[in-house]
Order: sequence, then structure tokens, then C-alpha cells
Amino acid sequence: MNTPVEINPEPPASANEVTSAEVDRVERALIDASTRLAVLVFYTSAIAWLILSTLLAIVASFKLHAPDTLAGVSFLTWGRLSPAQFDVLIYGWASMAGMGTAIWLMARLCRTTLRHPLLLISGAAFWNLGVLMGLIGILAGDSTGYEWLEFPGYSAIALFCAYLLIMTWALIMFRFRRRGHVYITQWYLLGAFLWFPWLYAAAQVMLFIFPIQGVMQAAVNSWFANNLLFLWFGSIGLGTAYYMIPKVIGRPVHSYYLATLGFWTFALFSSWTGMQRLIDGPFPAWMITASIAATILTMIPVATVGLNHHMTMRGYFSLMRYSPTLRFTVFGAVAYSAFSIVGVVMSLRTVARIVHFTEVGTGYTYLGLYAFFTMVMFGSMYYIVPRVVGREWRYASLIKLHFWSSAYGIGLMVLLLLVGGFVQGVSLNDPTLPFSESTESILPYLRGRSLSGILLTVSHCVFAFHFGLMLLGFGRTASVPTFLNPVEGERRGGH
Amino acid sequence: MKGLQPLFLGVFGIFAFSWLGMTVVPNLQIGSLNPQTDEDGSDVYPSPRSGMALRGAQVYAANGCVYCHSQQVRPDYGGSDLERKWGERRSAPRDYIFEPIVFLGTMRTGPDLANIGHRPALQEKGAATPAPAPAGAAPAAASSPAVAPSLGASPAAAHPAPAASPSIGTSPAAVVAAASPAPAPSALPAAGDQPAANVPTAAPSLVANASELTADGQPLPYTAAWHHRHLYNPRSVTDDSNMPAYHFLYEKRRISGAASPDAINFAGAHEGNPESGWEIVPSYDAKSLVAYLMSRDQAHQLKEAKSPVIAAAPGKEAQK
Repeated sequence: MNTPVEINPEPPASANEVTSAEVDRVERALIDASTRLAVLVFYTSAIAWLILSTLLAIVASFKLHAPDTLAGVSFLTWGRLSPAQFDVLIYGWASMAGMGTAIWLMARLCRTTLRHPLLLISGAAFWNLGVLMGLIGILAGDSTGYEWLEFPGYSAIALFCAYLLIMTWALIMFRFRRRGHVYITQWYLLGAFLWFPWLYAAAQVMLFIFPIQGVMQAAVNSWFANNLLFLWFGSIGLGTAYYMIPKVIGRPVHSYYLATLGFWTFALFSSWTGMQRLIDGPFPAWMITASIAATILTMIPVATVGLNHHMTMRGYFSLMRYSPTLRFTVFGAVAYSAFSIVGVVMSLRTVARIVHFTEVGTGYTYLGLYAFFTMVMFGSMYYIVPRVVGREWRYASLIKLHFWSSAYGIGLMVLLLLVGGFVQGVSLNDPTLPFSESTESILPYLRGRSLSGILLTVSHCVFAFHFGLMLLGFGRTASVPTFLNPVEGERRGGH
Repeated sequence: MKGLQPLFLGVFGIFAFSWLGMTVVPNLQIGSLNPQTDEDGSDVYPSPRSGMALRGAQVYAANGCVYCHSQQVRPDYGGSDLERKWGERRSAPRDYIFEPIVFLGTMRTGPDLANIGHRPALQEKGAATPAPAPAGAAPAAASSPAVAPSLGASPAAAHPAPAASPSIGTSPAAVVAAASPAPAPSALPAAGDQPAANVPTAAPSLVANASELTADGQPLPYTAAWHHRHLYNPRSVTDDSNMPAYHFLYEKRRISGAASPDAINFAGAHEGNPESGWEIVPSYDAKSLVAYLMSRDQAHQLKEAKSPVIAAAPGKEAQK
């Protein structure tokens, strides 16, 4: 089942005088040019939100150690900064970066130019407006109080309408695709685009429009947050990795059969996880048990996806020395496996009872949202931006700095939160210790996390600066992509 | 589109499966519960909250209390919640049927609040010594008997705080809490060795809120005055708390003429408390939040979640 990596293996029929490779190249350039404005709008917004979220995170993190700071300023209280920071991260940065990448991938894979980009750009504008209103709403004290859904109603409506514009447009593009087989990345993207509106609408209706009774609200909240992480971010991230890894190293996905198996099992099992985080809460026990079982079963898609990437990469790992895209993407793909394994361990009842209500949950979320998804998005941006602006990245040193500061930053943060949360949980469950002991025990780790926050801040600022250079046309004009290290000998594969 | 139908069907089918299985079916099971009553229809539990508590839930949401405080008591096999006296039984779905927003919570940077309106004002062992470390204890303890007679109007104050709590090993801070109805001017001589800084500011304080207490021999729960002190200046109540101070829910104003009857009584000087001549008056939001906190009470017995006898039958509690 080794399908060639060229996404459409059939050359255009009209290729009699020029070679098919040349036609392909021109066609790709045309497609890239058509997506240029839309992709850059999404990326620029995303990066701006990322920087804002980082700034909010710094203040929030500081306030956790110094709770009396600015105690008179209502919109800077920790309980508002913290959800504001996180929601800006998921709706501003992660969703917009994901949609930008998804648009470009969709255009490339459907081999169709982007029609009516203005529709898409107005979608992006409304989405930005929704995030901005949501951010202001939370800071002004209008939060709904449901985790990951804090944006008040007026913001949610803007987000939803914006989303419908974006999604409709993506589906239209799929409708107009050139013949040829539908690549696995398109499966993931279609899934993500169709799942998100249903998920978001279902949560909004069940929590705010016709609120359901009592603890079921908490269950719906948990279901939403989990599926947002898996079916929305997870699908886009996995789909992107399935494109980038084979593309950069220049060989087909190891097994297309494994890829489809991975897709279906991923969708089926991960959509049933999430309730394990309500362990021992006031719920019917079967809900928790079903989610634990589903979490364990997610090992199947994780194993298939991991094995597939590994086999594709086999013999080509050395390319990570040169290609920024590959380095970020492989980091993300490995983090996805780590994320899932941590998720399984955390869901087992014995462990869950220790780590419940601790920072382990935060660490787990960041492992998925940052170490996996965000790193894959960085990788895809390193691939896509040069193609849409027609310049290459200016400084290899900045890319390296970006990679290492984000890799060490997120690695340190996740490690500290997981270990610290476990320690916190152990003292929380020991009734002979006063409660304050559990808070005390996590504090050193939280200070360490602030340190990792500095690394991430550096990483984000470096990346934003570099992206700004590209945007303003200061990229290198070269036919060779920017490699992280000088390529010794023959240059292999793509870029 | 042929060949793609299975893809679209699968994408929709899988999501429908998750949506039905994880939200719709459980909602059929526990989504329309009624309050529990006796055979004769009396003793209804739970009952809807007052308007102020409802407003308080919004304040709770707006300021993100849920990111650090859970509101659920786990069963005895699921953690130390019961041993920490955060509740007398596990929480059940029925406890939440009238909640406007259910704050089950996912994090415990602070303690659980499911029963904060009911459970005894118990300080963590060895945790908080009140105000200026060693010096504060004596005046605080000394002040409460002195205060009681001076505030005859309040039934709560008549309840001798030290007598109510020694059995649960209350630290001095809890006594301060229980003695919330402020040292009236007559108490001043008793607290003579205390820096007089803010005592005058505390004058009549929150007598009205103190009537929430029941003096039926139960240990006293946290009072409204305690909540206000805690929200305004958490570290004046618990030394090593890292809860943010919510100054913006309070108005700080200079005392001109008579002090406000609503002003917080800070029982003891502490860094962060207002200086002499100033008073701290709770806003309507602060009062709503405290009303909400004081309505957190899952003490009533439920058939489906009996109090476990911890030593006798571990983990054998009735689960319907």
C-alpha cells in the first residue's frame, strides 16, 4: 500500500511539451499564491494572540507566588487572567494557527486554487473579533465559569459565525478538488472541520441556551474540553504531521493501511475519553469506566500512528539536523505519543485518585496542546510561510533558538507539573498532613514553571520577530530553503 | 463523491456516538432528578437558593474561584475528603439540581468548598496562627468572652466560641473566626496588649451576618465576617495561603463620623489590613459571594449517598 508521496500521483494529462514536474511546480506555485493572503492573515493573528497569551501568562504566573500584587485591580485578578490566557491560547493562537495550516494543506491536497479568499478573510476577522470580545469579557468579569468555554455568549456567537464561514469555504474547496485519491491528511482535516461546529454548538446549547440540570453541566464541560483537545486540535495536528513528515523526507507514508486504521480508531476511542477526569465525582460510575476503557484503547491509534511515522522516518532521522519543519514536527509527533501514554497512566484508577485535582491535569493539557500541537504548528509554519511569501527564512540561528527554547521550555514545564502535581496529590491524599501542605509542596514546582515560562517567552518572541521579517519581505531570496545546519555533501529530500 | 460516503458517514457516526453516549444518555439517567422528601412530603432537600446566592454564583464564576476550589466530596475510597472533614458524605448528583452553574472543579490549589457554609470553622492543623504571630493569639482568645455580652443582640455571639471548638482541636485562628462579631468598644481593654492600630475601625461590624449561625450545639461554621476578612486579606486568616486578595470587591474609605455598620471587622492587626481611621466596606458583589459561599451545604442526608462509617465499612457505602 505504498502510495507515492506526491499527493496526486497522476501528472496532468496535458503534459506533452513541458515535463510533468515543471507543470506540477507551476501549479503548486499558483495554489500557494492564491492562499497567500488568507494564510498570512490567519498566521499573523495567531502569532499576535500567542504573544498576548504569553504576556498574560507571565502576569498570572507571577501573581500565583505574589497573591497580593495588584489586588485592587479587578481585571488582573488571577482568576480572570488564568482563563483569559488559556482561552486566548486555544482560540486565538492554536485554533487560528491550525486553521491557517489546514487551509493551505487543503488547497495543496485538493490541487485547487483558493477561490474567493475574501470570504475566508472575513471569517478570520470575525474570529479575531470573537476572541477579542471574549478576552475583554473575561477580564471584565463576564466569564461563564465553564472551563475552556469562559467566553461569554456574545463572543461565542461571533466565533461560531466566523467558523461557519471558514468551514463552508474549506468544504467548498474540497468539493472542487481535482480527481485523485483523498490523502489521509484530508481525512483528518475534514473530520476536524465537521466535528468542531457540532462540538461547539452542542456545548453552547446544553450549557447556556437550554442548560441541562446539575452535574450533567460538568460532564458536558468535560466532554467538550476533551474533544476540543482531541478531535479539533488532535486531528489538525495529526493530519499536518502526516503531510509534513513524508513531504520533507521525500518518501511515501510507510503504510497507508495503518494510517486509515489509525484515523478511525483515533476518532472512535478518543471521542469517548474525558470522563475519567471526573473520577469519584457525583456521576454514574459507568461513565467514568467507559472513559477509562476508551483511554486505554487509544493506545491502538497511538501505536499505529507512531509506528507509521517511525517506519517512514527510518533511515532519515539525520534530516532532522537540517530541516526545521521536520525537527518541530517530529518533536510534536513524539510528544503526541508521550501525551497519550501519560493520559493512559493518569486514567488508571489508582493513579487517578492521586493526581485528581492537582497540577498533573495542567501538565497533561500542555503536553497535548503545546508539546504536540503547537510544535507541529510551528513546524508547518516553517514549511508554509516561505512558500506563500516567496522568501526563505532569514536566520537559521533564530530557528534553532526558537526550537531549543520551546523544546526545553515545554519539556521543563510539563515535567515540573507532572512531578509536582504527583507530589501535591500524595500530600493531598494524606489526611494527617494539613491541606496547606499540599499547596506548599507544589509551590517550588510552580516557581520552576515560571522559569520555563521565560524560555517559552523567549521562544515566542524570537519566532514572532522572525515571522515579522518574513512578512515585511526581509526573507532571503534564495532557491534553497534555510537549513538549520550547513548541509554536508548531497542535499537529500525536500526542505 | 462516491467512495467518500463511508468517510462522511463515519465522521458523523463517530461523533454522534460520542455525543449520545457521553452526554445524552447520562442526561437521561441523572438529568432530571427531583428533590428528596420524606414519606409525608416534608424535609425537602435540596431547595433552590436565594437571589443573593445566585448572584454570588456569578461573582464566583467571574473571578475564577473554580480554578482553585472544587465543590465535590469524594467517597471514602476516592481520597481524603471525608477525613479532612470537607463533608460528612460523598456528593451526589441530587446535591446540584438547583445550582445555576455547577462548579465541580478540577483543581484543589485551595480546599474544597462543597460544605463551606456548614462545616466547622476548622483551621488546618498547625497552619494558621492569627495575625501577628504569637502576640495575636492571646488577645484574640481573650476578646471573645469579653465581646459576647456586649453584643447581646446577636445569638451567635452569645455562643461561647472557645467552648464550642476545643473538641476539634481548633487553633487560635478559628477562635478569631468564631468570635467574628467584632470586639465592640467595650472589648478594648481586654485586648489591651494588642497594637491598637485597627481595632477602633472595627467597631460594630457584621452583626447581621452573624445571625446565620445556629447555636444548637454544632460546631460553628465560618461566619460572614470571617469570609469577608478572608476575601479581603487571606493572609490575615491563614498565614501560608496563596489565595489572591480581592480588594476590588471592597471599598476602602476613611471613617468620617460613625463607622459603617457593614465594615469588616479585622480581629487583630495584620499586614494588609487597613490602617487606623479607614474602614473596608463590602460591595454588593462581595456580600453576594459570601452569601453564595455560606449556602454551600451538603450536610443533609441523601438516600443514595449515606455517610460512611469510616472505620467499620470502608468502601461499602450505598451506591444506588
